[in-house]
Amino acid sequence: MKLTRRDFLKWASLSAVGAVACDIFREGEMIIQSPARMPEDLVTGRDNWYATLCGQCPEKESILVRVMEGRAKKVRGNPLYPTNQGKQSVRCEAGLQALYHPDRLAGPVARVGRRGSGQFQQIGWDTAMNTLLAQMRSNQPDAMLMITEPLRGHLGMVASKFVGAYGGRHMAFEPLDQTVLRGAVKQVFNQNTLPDFDIENTRYLLSFGADFLSTWVSPVRYARGYGEFRSNIGKERGSHVHADPRYSLTAASADQWIPISPGMEGVLALSMAYVIIDEGLADPGVAGAMTGGAGASVLDDFKPESVVSSDSPLYIGIPERIRGEDASELIRRIAREFATTGPSLAIGGGEAGAHTNGSFNLSAVFALNYLVGSVGKRPGEGGIVFNPAPPIEGIPATSPTGSVTDWLGVSDDLQNGRINLILVRGANPLHGLPPGSRFQESLNAGNPFVVSFSSFMDDTSLMADLVLPERIYLEDWSDDIPEPGPGFQIVGMQQPVVNPLPDLDPRSFPDLLLTLSQDLGLDDGLPNTFRDVLRQGAQQLFDLNRGSIQAATFEAFWNTMLQQGGWWDSDRVSTDSPPDPPSLAELAQQPSERRLPSFRAQDVDSRFFYLVPFLSNSLLDGRGAHLPWLQAAPDPLTTVTWQTWVEINPRDADEFGLKEGDVIRLISTEDHIEAVVYSHPAVPPGVLSVPIGQGHATGIRYATRGNAQRGSNPISILATEVDSETGGLAWAATRVRIQSTGRSVRVSKFEGLVPAFPIGPRAEDVVQVTRG
Amino acid sequence: MAQRMKHKWGMVVDIDKCTGCQACVVACQSENNIPLNTEDSFHQRRAMEWIRVERYWEVPDEYRDRPEEAPFQDVKARFMPVLCQHCENAPCEPVCPVFATYHNDEGMNVQVYNRCVGTRYCANNCPYQVRFFNFWEPVWPERLRNQLNPDVTVRSRGVMEKCTFCVQRVRRAETKIEGQEDGQITDKSLAEGNFMPACVQACPTNTLIFGDLEDPDSQVSRLKDDPRHYKLLENIGTEPNVIYLKKIDPRRKEDEAHG
Repeated sequence: MKLTRRDFLKWASLSAVGAVACDIFREGEMIIQSPARMPEDLVTGRDNWYATLCGQCPEKESILVRVMEGRAKKVRGNPLYPTNQGKQSVRCEAGLQALYHPDRLAGPVARVGRRGSGQFQQIGWDTAMNTLLAQMRSNQPDAMLMITEPLRGHLGMVASKFVGAYGGRHMAFEPLDQTVLRGAVKQVFNQNTLPDFDIENTRYLLSFGADFLSTWVSPVRYARGYGEFRSNIGKERGSHVHADPRYSLTAASADQWIPISPGMEGVLALSMAYVIIDEGLADPGVAGAMTGGAGASVLDDFKPESVVSSDSPLYIGIPERIRGEDASELIRRIAREFATTGPSLAIGGGEAGAHTNGSFNLSAVFALNYLVGSVGKRPGEGGIVFNPAPPIEGIPATSPTGSVTDWLGVSDDLQNGRINLILVRGANPLHGLPPGSRFQESLNAGNPFVVSFSSFMDDTSLMADLVLPERIYLEDWSDDIPEPGPGFQIVGMQQPVVNPLPDLDPRSFPDLLLTLSQDLGLDDGLPNTFRDVLRQGAQQLFDLNRGSIQAATFEAFWNTMLQQGGWWDSDRVSTDSPPDPPSLAELAQQPSERRLPSFRAQDVDSRFFYLVPFLSNSLLDGRGAHLPWLQAAPDPLTTVTWQTWVEINPRDADEFGLKEGDVIRLISTEDHIEAVVYSHPAVPPGVLSVPIGQGHATGIRYATRGNAQRGSNPISILATEVDSETGGLAWAATRVRIQSTGRSVRVSKFEGLVPAFPIGPRAEDVVQVTRG
Repeated sequence: MAQRMKHKWGMVVDIDKCTGCQACVVACQSENNIPLNTEDSFHQRRAMEWIRVERYWEVPDEYRDRPEEAPFQDVKARFMPVLCQHCENAPCEPVCPVFATYHNDEGMNVQVYNRCVGTRYCANNCPYQVRFFNFWEPVWPERLRNQLNPDVTVRSRGVMEKCTFCVQRVRRAETKIEGQEDGQITDKSLAEGNFMPACVQACPTNTLIFGDLEDPDSQVSRLKDDPRHYKLLENIGTEPNVIYLKKIDPRRKEDEAHG
């Protein structure tokens, strides 16, 4: 039938009248809801949720991955797992984009151009493995160095056995190493693994430098606890005070932010200790032990009135008045509240430990916990909970990283030809080491054979001779003993939730090690596959016959362990009693170079700024820079995306005639970078903050702008200052000058994308007013 | 006689717990096949976030008229997650000429993509700026398409889109839970079956709470009349189903706030 336009309109109007006419017989309004329930038309396929571990961050949260038709679709936190308890961070989700990244290496490649030229050619796995075997056979074993991210669990064991049996060296690398934090934990709490900071059950929280709600140590666990800590439903809401030279995400969430001069956190902590002891708020026995019986007088130099005076050598640089309160009175009030509102907890880390006096700062902060009786608590009591030894013998529960001092040693060895073979896995030292480590020059000078196991062409793989792409964590086996644990014994399980796509041929890194071990005839006493290694470990757990899994057979135990995402035993807590409290007198009497931060000298005539770098909330240290969701996730405070910005106080910006979008040069004694100005109303004058994460050298999608670099890397201008006790990198001890480039760009930010809400005439419309 | 709704879905946002971490934003993008927000999309002011975390700078009252002079130590950042408010009296609904946006019988404001002709009247009329128009055909590199959620339509160029309260999950809950004998949707069954909206499930601090406002035992029902509750732009009478709980600031003195 031929349908003319006129006919069509006639029929259409008739059917519309009919629809209305029929509808008037129905009660209620005209129904416009689609009977097909559009748009929520569900597909009928079956989805499976597999428990595994997330490999996006060092803390390795347990996740559930939704898999449909062999493809991973969604990541969520595993609700059973005791550390993250069903929650995840912005970074966990983006693992799916690593899995399906368009620029994943399909198979092994070998360098054909000069080193660093980025010219590679595809080779088969047999050729690649034979090349590596030939290198390992011809090489002096002690001239081999394996560089990995910090490894825990059975992977840590396999790597160390492999390296041990071969006779080489193994060093773990992370850009902002935790050497200072670990040193302070050992010194103050006598613990080899990080304790659990039980924020959930704490009522008064003092934090120094640690951006624990965003990137520090175990942010998902802390944020989950923080939500409970903040709950005022059926209980008293917890209070939080944060001291930091940078207005971080954690500072923004705190009830009170104390903007302090970089590196003066330890002095502030001792000032609070003075008030607590002087006013008799601490247990007299503990206070006596910590002061050698002398009482508050050993801390006389740290009186609040002294440390807030700009004449004092211990001046902490906080404004005279904060929200209308006198600075010294503020310190006294917080110290009193901290001592009288139990359970209370003081944590320090991040920037506070990243100075030449980092160990002093963190030791002073952690010592506060002894004054309020918060050390060595049981899980659920708030305060500091020690973690027990792992349930399986010989499995590392911690992996200390090489400090920058150790890396300087590596550079020397490279230059002197004492390292001829480097295996790199999960680490990107070329992006994460400061220029003073001389790693890049040494690599060029020593010209060792470099093998990378990265799935992507990162800054370090670009310098490699051979790249053997490993499986993404969602395709591979592993396990983990989380550090910090939740205060009791726990083992997390990682299982492959999908197979690699047909056009990709990655191999499992631990399986490659086991194969190499066999081919080289090394005696490491391990089974042939990593899955079998894990099953051996699981057998040990099964034999313990306790914990979260009750099963009659080992197979049932193994399956349940995979379903639940691991094994844990909440009754197995640490039996360590709190060690003797540290001596505040000793801390207070340390020479001033230990107590006070020092900065790499800058041109004294020029106006300098303190450079406070920080880990990006989404890209972390740069390991997420190739994932578009993470690049596009706005920074919580500035809302900037895809770029490297520098946070500057508006008055400082005015002084230099800078406005948002201006590109400036930050010049240190080492080098310079460029960044886009973001005028930030809560940045202290004289401080510049720049996120770490961008500035990659390779041409993979999203991490770079075509072949041009995206943003810049503040690590590349850090002075190689180190903590005077542990040798850890003092990454916040650099001062910079700024210089305009005369260029200006548009800031790629979310702010201003939608008009701001007229939320009402007054702030109390959104802020509950309580009696202060 | 009007039939009583079986469910009325609603959300409570406890601003006091929000740290601004962005976990909700990416969880939503992952679940709902939201186009990749490129650097250009931010420059064009066309980035799409069905849920966004707004950041406000708050200055003391005495600097309200001259915020740039406020001392840096007294400036506070405030975070506010904003998503479609699923208004009872939604300004976006009556202006749609093709009924592509309507209120369903469970209190949700729903967008029917294949009805949408792209007039953008709804986005124009939405006071919350939570509707997003596909100015371009969304593009994913071939391999990244493997991640797309099969439960959610990929919207093409010329179509308006917005938060659906993850209706695909709610529908699964209704099918799976209520399809069973004596099956009843509760907070617990929603959480256990992974039927909560993706943002709510992800939120590490439990700032976002979702549930059935018709169920007197649900957490949203208990919290909706909390003394801290308010609704965005309450005075214009849109009657949102998203209820906010005020930030608590123990250091803000009563006399200062009213001064």
